[in-house]
Amino acid sequence: MSFNDGLIRKISSMAERLEHRGELLHVATSRDQFVDLVDIIHKVGGRLVSLHATDERATAESFMMYAILDHDGCLIEVVSPVWDGVPFQSLVPRVHAANWYEREIQDMFGLTPHGHPDPRPLVLYDDWPQDTFPLRKDFDSSIDIPRIPREYKYRHMEGDGVFEIPVGPVHAGVIEPGHFRFSVAGEPIMALEIRLGYVHRGVEKLSETMPYHKGVILAERISGDTSAAHSAAYCQSVEQLFEIKAPERAEYIRTIILELERLYNHLGDISGIALDTAFAVPAADGYVLRERVLELNEWLTGSRLLRSINTIGGVNKDIDRDKSAKLLSHLVDLRLQFERLSSTMMSSVSMLDRVEGTGILSKENARSLGCVGPIARASGVDIDTRRDHPYAAYPDMSFRIPLQKSGDVYARTVVRIDEVRESFAIIEQALDRIPNGSICTEFTGAPIKTTALSLVEASRGELMHWMIGEEEKPFRHKIRDPSFCNWLGLELAVRGDIVPDFPLVNKSFSLSYAGNDL
Amino acid sequence: MIIELIQTFLLLALAPLVTGIIRSLKARMQGRKGPSVLQPYRDLLKLLYKSSIRSRDSSWVLSIAPYVCMAAVIAAALLVPVIYTGTFGLIGDLLLLIYLLAIVRFFTTLAALDAGSTFGGMGSSRELFISSIVEPTMLLSIFTVGLISSTTDLGGISMNMASTGLDLIEPSLLLAAAAFFIAILAENSRVPVDNPATHLELTMVHEAMVLEYSGKDLALMEYASMTKLLVFFTLMANIFFPWGIATSMDPIALAIGLLAYLVKISILTLAIAVVESSMAKMRLFRLPNLFTMAFILSLLAVIAYYILGVA
Repeated sequence: MSFNDGLIRKISSMAERLEHRGELLHVATSRDQFVDLVDIIHKVGGRLVSLHATDERATAESFMMYAILDHDGCLIEVVSPVWDGVPFQSLVPRVHAANWYEREIQDMFGLTPHGHPDPRPLVLYDDWPQDTFPLRKDFDSSIDIPRIPREYKYRHMEGDGVFEIPVGPVHAGVIEPGHFRFSVAGEPIMALEIRLGYVHRGVEKLSETMPYHKGVILAERISGDTSAAHSAAYCQSVEQLFEIKAPERAEYIRTIILELERLYNHLGDISGIALDTAFAVPAADGYVLRERVLELNEWLTGSRLLRSINTIGGVNKDIDRDKSAKLLSHLVDLRLQFERLSSTMMSSVSMLDRVEGTGILSKENARSLGCVGPIARASGVDIDTRRDHPYAAYPDMSFRIPLQKSGDVYARTVVRIDEVRESFAIIEQALDRIPNGSICTEFTGAPIKTTALSLVEASRGELMHWMIGEEEKPFRHKIRDPSFCNWLGLELAVRGDIVPDFPLVNKSFSLSYAGNDL
Repeated sequence: MIIELIQTFLLLALAPLVTGIIRSLKARMQGRKGPSVLQPYRDLLKLLYKSSIRSRDSSWVLSIAPYVCMAAVIAAALLVPVIYTGTFGLIGDLLLLIYLLAIVRFFTTLAALDAGSTFGGMGSSRELFISSIVEPTMLLSIFTVGLISSTTDLGGISMNMASTGLDLIEPSLLLAAAAFFIAILAENSRVPVDNPATHLELTMVHEAMVLEYSGKDLALMEYASMTKLLVFFTLMANIFFPWGIATSMDPIALAIGLLAYLVKISILTLAIAVVESSMAKMRLFRLPNLFTMAFILSLLAVIAYYILGVA
């Protein structure tokens, strides 16, 4: 993990302050240099992990904007001040992945990006007043906000025989709310516009009022099926702030529950893909497997969704020798059944015909939008936080990172199938090597003054929790769910496909609405 | 006359049961218990107690469509022999049957467009796209059987075939039956053409067209499509393979006819359940391949009849 010297020299020439903080390179720069600096790192292959703001008017007399980039295994945090009423220069023309981040900053802080190609609201409801910004420190969340009717402007396509199909936000199935607007010419989709924000709950604002030990509970509820990953990321960032370290045994247990979470989510997604092609028998078998993992979770930890396990400084539940042996034998059985399921699915001609070539996300698009997780890996982008920025017990684990090149529904299914196999192997390794010792260290001390950043590979991809701490609770808590990076990928992937294939492509992306909306 | 009425009632009474059995079989194959086979009756009864809500923007087309569809399906049911070869054939033959079913389609698609909802429009366009190839297939395949037994009266076809015996099993009959089976899948919105169990509006064909209905209207539409499925099964059972059907009013012959009918319908029900469980739904634009194949089969049936049958 060493920085390229030439790049460092370039960065330091533009930086006001440059600081190595463990794995992270912290670079403070002026407002004018911010875009150029981020662009330089981006040009040499840096991937935008997050772009967000903080309201530091009380101490620094300005807002601050943070860009987190991942370059070749090194994390770079670029920070510059932004002032109220002075539009900041938009990154989007040069770094496409910044698109939604800047719109989110605009909604939440009232800072306007200058030169943004699409400065419409993103997360806030249509009738939210335009001069109220929830993440500013002077926002009072106890006051009822008056609602001002306003209409969101959708992109329109015009032409002979071009129609718009509005779908949602309320759907026929039990799924989360989101509005999809298709512009179609007959069955082929010319463009899709996705409008989210219907489950925006103000999680980041809420977190600023939550003492750390309660913050874990909040983090578990950001996106229901990502409870373990969110709480792990939260705990890791608080542990960083208070400079405490979870015992090794706890790290192993965290690894096991994170992989169990990946298992049940991937099993659900794989079955969902089969179900959406109306291939009901393997879908039913897959859902049975998922249910068995959920029941295993409950037996192991007391929670089907693996809640209340992670805690600051370690974990709440131990896995004793007895349980460990039983878990291993269950896994062997699950593994056998899973192999049978995957071979039924992937050897069915009618199924393969549906998934091959459907919903292609090119590697180029996946990279430029900053897609993460299985979606990116199915398009040939080789990223996985577990290997690139190892946490918990992952440095001790040996596992393979499945990659596919075609970027279609088939590739996304195969990547998940392979990852399920790897998860089985990781859990077995962890159970085999788990060291003895305590499972939790005491949570004491005072927070460090700098920022804390924790990355976790959730089942949907890289998840980030970033924090500036105060004594009792976070001063600013930024959460970046993997879905936030992948939704735009879906818009591009369905272009040119036909309308009845959309649900299948959507399922293969398997994105979280709640995680995106926060 | 009484027997003809009774057999039509039998068909109407059994229709929800067949749907119930298909669902139950599929559930078993998926490792679920599934609802009782009587559930469709309960659903229909429940819906009949409820009032219908129609969109303010819809016209009379939407309000009469359920009645027209139901009436047309019942009229079609009157034309098919169930356990006895006698039917109300005086009012029409197989051509009338095909066009009665076309009325159902016409009104379903028109009503789906009427309410102006997106999904209805999508469903209509897909339904017509599918039927433009399936309808001629259906006509040709039934027509082949008409040629073999030299009549277009459905009761007559059944009568002639049943009394001639197994000598009539010839290539053209089997070809036509194969084509007709694919037509059954397409006409009744089954996998691989459509998925009757999905909630994904964007993929629907038939279901997208009935989204606008509620209460009694929905009950009629559902019942009409269940009956339509059984009418098709009955055609397959008694027009293509009528052996066992009663050709006289003799009670024993009628009993054998009933038994034979139930056995044949059970086989078809099982066949549908197996097809639906063993494959994924086809991509919409792949469907023409399947339908063209069915059409070619039915065309071959007619040609085979002239080449082999006449000699």
